[in-house]
Amino acid sequence: MKWFLSFLTPFFLFSQSGVEIATWLDQKSAPKDLSNKARMILTNSKGKSRTSEMISKSLNRNEKQMIWFLEPRDDRGVSFLKVEHENGEDEMRMWLPAFKRVRRISAKKKGDSFMGSDLTFEDLSNRDLTHNNYKRLDDDMFDKVECFVLETLPKKEAESSYSRHVSWIDKKTFNLLKETSYDKRGVLEKDKRFEYELIKSFFILKRVFVNNTIKQHSTEIIFTDILVDMGIKSDLFHEKNLRRLPKE
Amino acid sequence: MGSGIRFLIMDDDMMKMLPEHLDSRRTWDAVQNEFGSTEIIFIAFGNKGESVYKSRPLADLWTLSNGLKNLSSVMEVSNITTSTRIDQVDGFMQIEELQKIQNLNSQEIKSIQLYLDKNNNIKKQFVSQSDEYLLTTIQPYDGVGLDQFRNDVVALGDSLLSDYDVHYGGTAYVTGSIPRMIRDDVQSLVKAGLVIMIAVLLINLRSLPAVGMVMMVIVFSLVSMMGFMGWAYRITGSDKFLFALLNTSMPIILLTIANSDGVHVMTKFFRELRFQKNVHRAIASGMDALLVPIFLTSITTIAAFLTMSSSPLEPLVGYGICISVGIGWAWLLSSFFLPALISLKNWDLDSKAIISPSIFERVIGRLGSIVIGYPKVVLCSGILLVLFGCAGLHKVAVDVNVASFFKPGTKIRDSMDFMDREMSGTMDLRVRVAGDIKDPSLLQGMDSLQTFIEKNEKVSVSYSVADVVKQMHRTVMDDSIQYESIPDEREKVNNLFTMYSMSGDQENFSNLVDYEYSTALITAFSSVMSTEEVFSFVNKVSESFQNNSFSLGRVDVTGMIVVIRDMVVMVIRSSFLSIFISLVLIGTITAIFFKRFLWGMIAVLPLTGAVILNFGLMGHFDITLNHVTAILSSIIIGVGVDFAIHFISQFRYLSDASSKSTISKKVIHDVGYPIILDAGSNMGFGALLFSAFIPVQYIGGLMIFAMISTSLGTLTLLATTTELLKNKLMKKEI
Repeated sequence: MKWFLSFLTPFFLFSQSGVEIATWLDQKSAPKDLSNKARMILTNSKGKSRTSEMISKSLNRNEKQMIWFLEPRDDRGVSFLKVEHENGEDEMRMWLPAFKRVRRISAKKKGDSFMGSDLTFEDLSNRDLTHNNYKRLDDDMFDKVECFVLETLPKKEAESSYSRHVSWIDKKTFNLLKETSYDKRGVLEKDKRFEYELIKSFFILKRVFVNNTIKQHSTEIIFTDILVDMGIKSDLFHEKNLRRLPKE
Repeated sequence: MGSGIRFLIMDDDMMKMLPEHLDSRRTWDAVQNEFGSTEIIFIAFGNKGESVYKSRPLADLWTLSNGLKNLSSVMEVSNITTSTRIDQVDGFMQIEELQKIQNLNSQEIKSIQLYLDKNNNIKKQFVSQSDEYLLTTIQPYDGVGLDQFRNDVVALGDSLLSDYDVHYGGTAYVTGSIPRMIRDDVQSLVKAGLVIMIAVLLINLRSLPAVGMVMMVIVFSLVSMMGFMGWAYRITGSDKFLFALLNTSMPIILLTIANSDGVHVMTKFFRELRFQKNVHRAIASGMDALLVPIFLTSITTIAAFLTMSSSPLEPLVGYGICISVGIGWAWLLSSFFLPALISLKNWDLDSKAIISPSIFERVIGRLGSIVIGYPKVVLCSGILLVLFGCAGLHKVAVDVNVASFFKPGTKIRDSMDFMDREMSGTMDLRVRVAGDIKDPSLLQGMDSLQTFIEKNEKVSVSYSVADVVKQMHRTVMDDSIQYESIPDEREKVNNLFTMYSMSGDQENFSNLVDYEYSTALITAFSSVMSTEEVFSFVNKVSESFQNNSFSLGRVDVTGMIVVIRDMVVMVIRSSFLSIFISLVLIGTITAIFFKRFLWGMIAVLPLTGAVILNFGLMGHFDITLNHVTAILSSIIIGVGVDFAIHFISQFRYLSDASSKSTISKKVIHDVGYPIILDAGSNMGFGALLFSAFIPVQYIGGLMIFAMISTSLGTLTLLATTTELLKNKLMKKEI
């Protein structure tokens, strides 16, 4: 059997179409729940930086997510709850400790920035396979890793703010290592780099770096204290839990 | 040298005229650096009598926004389609696009209208007071040429909005379009002036080759001056050598000076040829009499123009240096090239041009008799005229606002008036506030300052991050109007910003507060203010800062309103400083060269009279002094000193061989003709009177006046003075 698979692997790698690679990427296994601490560093064109630190807990590929701000000090205690519903309407609530109020906030557009970073909600969500055309480009090496190079062209129904993406995907792990995204005019807008850590057979993101070449603004997110499949209960994702910071 | 013309850069950024160390310039640069370019273009479109709250205008606004965003020169577009709204809906803090889609139904349009009516400060930025026009504000990328930016925007606007009444405005539009329009206008009028100049020279010299030779001196001098300016910019990269709006007069001034040199040489040659009947001898004796005065006039004029290098206005420094090079070149050409050229031509000694006097020569003969016959009357008349000028000096008004450059009824003036009448106006005031921008007391101070600024009836709108904080506060507090205020705790302010970042894009604040919340910008727009109003307004705002009335800590103020104030001060200072130093220098050089203090005094006499009369008439006839007309005094001094020195030089030249009774008449006869011919031909630039632009008209009118006042000043004031003092002057000479 092993002999058969090793015979098939090169054949499989060379024969994959763009859609098949995209499908593999989409169907990669992921943990049921995820907990981490994230440090986000935003740097603008003048080299000035803003750093935030937060605790995040999520369930079912971010279907439900809670974020508690730890840093900067001004933001400590502010927390955020997001629950995705099947009808596509996201419910988002925020705890504002200074006002002692929970406020519902509206779902954002796909092209809007996530927390002032260079990642938009579109960047963070999974791409609908039927809303894009895929084309496999010539394979390439990235960071000494052999990669598939996949071109993604969003269809009109994707309502994307991009015209094209080019992704470098590790042939062995199917991890996305690098992606360049082009704006509607076809100008390079974002250069994204991803690094992973293998935890319990899952490749979990440990660092994301996005350079917005148009705005000359960059975002680096470093994930630490990563825990997966710890049995986070669904009832954690409730308004009342926003008011209390979890144990660090 | 002429090859440097290809490096000549035309740039009319008003800011580049200001010295870099000036507070308003420094603040302006800091604001551009922190908040992006403040050189903006406004587009207002709509139709009179029709509300813009309809599907089609809003759909067209959408198309316009998309088109503008695709332009490579455009960084940001701000209008209803690109703006966000903050609402409180069923407990939601909702931040979303003010206009979500291109084609709206009536309910969606109503919703936009209600939101804008509820938030009047936002409405003022997007919709005219009568609801008939939609306003779009466009910001360019830093470093983009404003002419390119203006051309891109106007071309797109005109192509997409052909069914509407469209108006453009804003500093970038003015800077990007007006100077080119003025230059195009001046170019065509200068051509007309040149034709008149050639015609006057032809009528009097009655020789095409002679006129051609004079024109060669003029053209070569112009080319070398412009080429030098190009090389200077290429080598130094200094803004001083950019060709700005006020440099428009530079070619005209050099033209008059080079013409003066050429005319003196040519008329002297003709006259000598008339008596000597030999070309080489005529050249030799003519140049013997002219080499010294031409050299001296060049030196004094160069000295006068080099005083501009002390000007606080950057382009005036380059102006002085480049025109000095042009004058030096004209001196070389008229002293060496022109005589050489004359000697190469085979002249017909029996031609009318040589044997008979021209019209101006005959006129000058009669003038000479009057001056010599009634010296005291002529002198008293001249003094009375100068006194009349003195009476008008205090009435001279300074106005550097470009809006006043255009007559009502012209397209650009109408657009400006429209922006003032219907929209928020186009003159901006920017207040840069440094400190902890999340501090409620600072935000409160900013809010109070805005209230104070808006008390000025010309100010239509002001906005800052304090407005956004107030709006968010109200929204979070269940849309209760009583909470449309700055929260009392820093944590609350911070919570509001954090909440916004989760729901909206903080980039929306990028023109209001910097990345670290350590600097904020208050922007106010006003309709066009007169210079007095500008001074009064800026002084009131500055006083409030000095008294720390709003507890704002470190505050800097800039914007077009402040720039105008600073420009006015600098135009006055540089004009009067330049005139004073020029006169002193000219007097000193002449006194040293002729080895007598009295000659120095006499040389500046007609100049001083002409300058006084010039400014006096400006006061009497409500001609405002601005950075374009201020240069007129240079024309007077540049040309006037030539006339005076030629007169004095000839007086001294003839002192040995003439009697006291005839000397003045002989001098007038000898130099009067070239002076009158020079002045007469230069008056061709009266064609500028037909310009569509008011300052150019003024230059045309004042050019005629300058020629009359300096030539007649020399032939009357100076002539009568020398006539009255001839005993003293000649005795000393002998």
